[in-house]
Amino acid sequence: MPTSATKRPGIGGRTLGLIISTTLLFAVLSLLSQSFLSSYTMFVISRQMAFYVLIALSQAFCLVVGQMSLAVGAIGSLTTIVLGLGLETWNLPAGAAVVLALGVGVLAGLLNGLLITRLKIDSFIVTLSMMFIYMGLRSGISGGSPYKVPESFRAVGQGSLLGIPYVFLLVAVLLGLVGFMFRSTVFGRRLLATGGNAAAARLSGIETGRMVVWAHVLSGAFAALAAVLWASKLGSAAPETGDDWLIVSFAVAIIGGTGLNGGVISGLGIFMGSAIFMLIKHGLVEVKANPYYANSFLGLLILLAIVIDRVRQIYSDKQKGT
Amino acid sequence: MLELKGVSKRFPGVQALDGVSLMFAPGEIHALVGENGAGKSTLIKIITGLLQPDRGEVHRDGRRLRFRSYRDSLAEGIDIVSQEIEVIPESTIAENIMLDKLITRGKTGIIDWPAVHRAARACLERVGLPLPTGTVIKRLSAAHKQLVQVAKALAADARVLLLDEPTSSLTEHEVATLFGILRDLRDKGVTIIFVSHKFEEVFALCDKVSVLRDGRLVGTKSLQDLTRKELVRMMIGRDIDRAHLGRLDAERGREMLRAERLVRKGKVENASFAVRAGEILGFYGLVGAGRTELARVLIGEDRLDAGTIYVRGEKARIRSVADSLERYGIGYVSENRKEEGLLLQSPVRTNITIAVWPRIAGRIVRAVSRTKETAIAYRMIDGLDIRTRGPEQKTEDLSGGNQQKVCLSKWLAADCDILIIDEPTVGVDVGAKDQIHRLIWDLAKTRGKAIILISSDMPEIVRIANRILVFRDRRIVGEIQGVDDPAKSYAELSAAIGMHLH
Ligand SMILES: Nc1ncnc2c1ncn2[C@@H]1O[C@H](COP(=O)(O)OP(=O)(O)OP(=O)(O)O)[C@@H](O)[C@H]1O
Ligand SMILES: [Mg+2]
Repeated sequence: MPTSATKRPGIGGRTLGLIISTTLLFAVLSLLSQSFLSSYTMFVISRQMAFYVLIALSQAFCLVVGQMSLAVGAIGSLTTIVLGLGLETWNLPAGAAVVLALGVGVLAGLLNGLLITRLKIDSFIVTLSMMFIYMGLRSGISGGSPYKVPESFRAVGQGSLLGIPYVFLLVAVLLGLVGFMFRSTVFGRRLLATGGNAAAARLSGIETGRMVVWAHVLSGAFAALAAVLWASKLGSAAPETGDDWLIVSFAVAIIGGTGLNGGVISGLGIFMGSAIFMLIKHGLVEVKANPYYANSFLGLLILLAIVIDRVRQIYSDKQKGT
Repeated sequence: MLELKGVSKRFPGVQALDGVSLMFAPGEIHALVGENGAGKSTLIKIITGLLQPDRGEVHRDGRRLRFRSYRDSLAEGIDIVSQEIEVIPESTIAENIMLDKLITRGKTGIIDWPAVHRAARACLERVGLPLPTGTVIKRLSAAHKQLVQVAKALAADARVLLLDEPTSSLTEHEVATLFGILRDLRDKGVTIIFVSHKFEEVFALCDKVSVLRDGRLVGTKSLQDLTRKELVRMMIGRDIDRAHLGRLDAERGREMLRAERLVRKGKVENASFAVRAGEILGFYGLVGAGRTELARVLIGEDRLDAGTIYVRGEKARIRSVADSLERYGIGYVSENRKEEGLLLQSPVRTNITIAVWPRIAGRIVRAVSRTKETAIAYRMIDGLDIRTRGPEQKTEDLSGGNQQKVCLSKWLAADCDILIIDEPTVGVDVGAKDQIHRLIWDLAKTRGKAIILISSDMPEIVRIANRILVFRDRRIVGEIQGVDDPAKSYAELSAAIGMHLH
């Protein structure tokens, strides 16, 4: 079960369902294609999954405090451009360019958060406008062509340890930390409380406005991190990075059991969510589905996840009569 | 005749109702009393089809009723005014009242809004609520929301009316109006079931009383041949007296909080007072007199327009609740537990410890100690006798009164020097109320806390405060000292309060 505020960690019905679905999908795919279990496919799949986790977390931080961010992909895009500028145009050392890019992601998130809390504007409207602003900046600055990155910069995105991609390892550690943060730290639990009931949280001494800003900052940071790693993986800073993140971020977060009304998140759930998402995408290629319909499948998948959740809720409410 | 036959209902870990058989006659107001968690709301929900019993049947005039939803029960003429206020916050009063029966122009399906508002206004007038029917619900006070619910039931023209603690946030005047309406309905042959923790009301209004304890029926008695004392004993198995808990000797305490000419436009006008360590300062007044608004200013939740606050003798600038809690040690227990007090989806433990997380967290990683958390939760559960399966139970599943205790325990855990407690015993049973009173009194007496007690419950405030400020129309209109003087009688004190009010 996705853990609300601070329930004891444990594998509840929801997560169990996710694990079973993943296993089934996995089994079906290995039967469908001989090459599926090859170490090359596993490498590619696990690395891609790691990106999905980062993108989903970027959305989940906002969902947890009862908000959303439509600017997840746009921040990723903008970050990529800044990274490209740093590496190619300004010839910065790789470390400096990365810090600069991550800083821009954090700033973009901060700006979202401040606009929402200071001007008391809905997160939907703020992030929608910011999405267009960032995307415009992206196209204007880059002119649509990718930036080159030095050879050394590719090490993290393309390398591996004992056959496991670095990116996957890094994300596994991060996800563990995020899970711990929400389960145990004052900060994480205050984020959850803010999403659970903002008025009650505020009257319990939690500065909910500040929490909302933090959520957007984290969201920006994770989007930026995903963008930097993506450039490292691609071997270039491509302006179209982030174009499909919006749908990915919602799909994986929701399949992974993140509450749409705030206050509920599960690290393991997001991990499984990204696995399911990845496997389905891979499966569609495997069965040679027409790629032009890909978005329809993703939309259906999100809907399905929400419907399943709703049905569970209605069922348990019926039992309790609330 | 409405009849329950051997009704049982089990929730995970608790038998909420256990073979309850009861009869409710038309033209009778039947009180249902019992401790928090005794199963009263569950019983009411079963009658209205909001819950299905595990065993047993509900009969009406010899026919078995099988409701699958609340709509079915409305069709049968059974309506409920529920404990947890269920109105739609974003819609207007008229829409709420007329929800099930919006009047349309002929068969066009187009809503005839003037007619809807006229019909709604008629219902509002019956409950004595002179408000425009276009007012949005979320702007109403808790009392007015409750009256809107009553008006809604009236509009439905129910033959059986179930009221689950309908007066919990009404003023005396509104209660009187409501009782007038209920007596009127009784005389028209309506069956009324009235759940309440307020015995004054039960004795003033009802004909019969049934007592539930731990899901079982203890008995049904006619109220004419029953004393209050006997009823309390039936309910909790012991006696509770209503005398003042004892002298507080607050004169020697240090002045903890002083307010000078506080103004919040439209809410609070020129409020000046001071409260000392070891004192319980009561804020008495009718609902809407500006007491909660004053509290919100004191804790930094609302902005102060003019005036000065001193904490421990020093001028204070309180900018947020976090500020008031951490820098000044002021805590506030909200009167509105569902909306402002609790994370309903979270476990009881979280709600008890939420304000102390920073204090029980490690130095560097700031991880909250689960062991300490659970220990605090257990201490509160035991100390306040909170009926729950354990600290991990979802707070929403607790009965109303027990949720109230969880709210209070959050601030006991936070251990503030200055505590503002707003209507602490709304919906709490006599036994638990007594416990909470003793707890608050003890906080002042032996722990030297400075306490502001906001209450509209006169017996309550007279029982534990040592000084009372009377509020009317956003102003402090009077002060009564020496409330804890054993020589003063309840009648004398309530008369003094009444004098300021009118
Ligand atoms: N949805 C639920 N899930 C689990 N337990 C529940 C649920 N609803 C009620 N209970 C439990 O059933 C018991 C009876 O609850 P109920 O709400 O009927 O009490 P009550 O007499 O109305 O109390 P109060 O005076 O506090 O309103 C309590 O122990 C409560 O915790
Ligand atoms: Mg109840």
